[in-house]
Amino acid sequence: MEAYLTIKSLQVDYYQDNRQITALKDVNLKLPYGTSASLIGPSGCGKSTLLSVLAGLNQKYTGEVLLNGQSPQENGKTALILQDYGLFPWKTVWDNVKLGLQIKGIARREYEQKTEEILRKLGLLDLRKRFPAQLSGGQRQRVAIARSLVLEPELLLMDEPFSSLDALTREEMQDLVLRLWQETKLTILLITHNIEEAVFLGQRIFVMSACPGTIIRELENPLAGDYSARGKADFWELAASLRSNLRRS
Amino acid sequence: MFSMILKKLTSQSLKTILTLVFLFGSWQLLALILQTPALPPPGEALKSLGAIFVSEIVGHLGVSLYRVVVSLIIATLLAVPLGLYLGKNKAADQISAPLIYLTYPVPKVVFLPIFLILLGIGNVSKIVLITLVVFYQILVTTRDAARNLAKEYVLSVKSLKASEWEIYRHVYFPACLPAILTSLRLGLGTALAVLFLVETYATREGIGFFIMDSWSSLAYDKMFAGIIAMGLMGFVLYLLLDGCEKIFCRWVNP
Repeated sequence: MEAYLTIKSLQVDYYQDNRQITALKDVNLKLPYGTSASLIGPSGCGKSTLLSVLAGLNQKYTGEVLLNGQSPQENGKTALILQDYGLFPWKTVWDNVKLGLQIKGIARREYEQKTEEILRKLGLLDLRKRFPAQLSGGQRQRVAIARSLVLEPELLLMDEPFSSLDALTREEMQDLVLRLWQETKLTILLITHNIEEAVFLGQRIFVMSACPGTIIRELENPLAGDYSARGKADFWELAASLRSNLRRS
Repeated sequence: MFSMILKKLTSQSLKTILTLVFLFGSWQLLALILQTPALPPPGEALKSLGAIFVSEIVGHLGVSLYRVVVSLIIATLLAVPLGLYLGKNKAADQISAPLIYLTYPVPKVVFLPIFLILLGIGNVSKIVLITLVVFYQILVTTRDAARNLAKEYVLSVKSLKASEWEIYRHVYFPACLPAILTSLRLGLGTALAVLFLVETYATREGIGFFIMDSWSSLAYDKMFAGIIAMGLMGFVLYLLLDGCEKIFCRWVNP
């Protein structure tokens, strides 16, 4: 299969107190169309830096980053979901979700229709007049997902999206992401520090090391997307193997 | 829903009435203790207010209201965009900060004589002075609110390829609006204080003039009628700002 996302010897440096810090070094990664991948690593390993490069927010990098043959800035078909701050507290659910379409300059009738469609799909239509402060953590993250999906992205980037949710809501959200991925076949890159989440959602799992961040292990994961896998021995074995990997990094 | 609003409204007006009873009660008590013509009992002041409200006070109050409202509007229109810009752009903020902090503490009222000479004794000089004082309060508060805005919000619209204007419209302005309204409320108090001062010089119009004029003719009941009228004007303006906050900043306390 042809790669949708190609990263070749990516390096990102930044300056802090006049000291040069290498956040990412020699990162290589390939993702075919429609793959879901998880990226795990210790905190401070530059995972978020990597996402900001992919989302086109950080242009100060060396190496090659191609999305469907284009640079992240040219491509613009990437959606980013963050752990917090994803939603604007001063906008209602409806206004939050439609904002992206509005900024893209899509006609009012079309964006209203699309907004309604996605809210219905995610079971949020009844909550459309609420402000984020009036929602539970799970509902809020659901709105964040609706807001990204309404833009019909090709690549969905998630930066520890569910880490502030309780265990049950978290699994519910993982199921939702899985369902959406199976329906839409978008390419997903999920950053997480939760190993079980990485195994459940990532067809490919990338393990990163810290300072400077680089990928130290890449593995195929046949268990991804299998609802029943969560209880299986294979699942726990893989999780344990990843855990020991992380310890050593 | 409707009955709830009604209930809330009645409980609020009840509180207002209780507050008024308390205020006028204390005033009455103080007047009884002091026994001086300089502090007439509230009954006399209210009687005088009723007698001369239409004939004398309304005209002065209208002029004052015009001066305050125009000043507040101009100050807001100038200070809010500039404050948002400075809060968003670190470089511009760093260049302007010394200028702002050097000129902010200077009491602007000392420039009244200069404004009177340069801009004449009409409304312009008064409006410019009130505007200048309130401008700083709104500017500093707005700038600080914009400066402290979580960068994630900005990144999030930037990733949607929002233009500068859209970043202001969807992020900076709504995020800073509660702070802006707070600064307007503080500014209103200052504006009324400065208003009184500017209306005591070189003018024969305005509630400030009316109060000072009554004072110099020893008509204390009229003077206090003027003070009550001025207080009422401020109260109504506060209510207006509160209303704005309830409508435009519902998200703060949904």
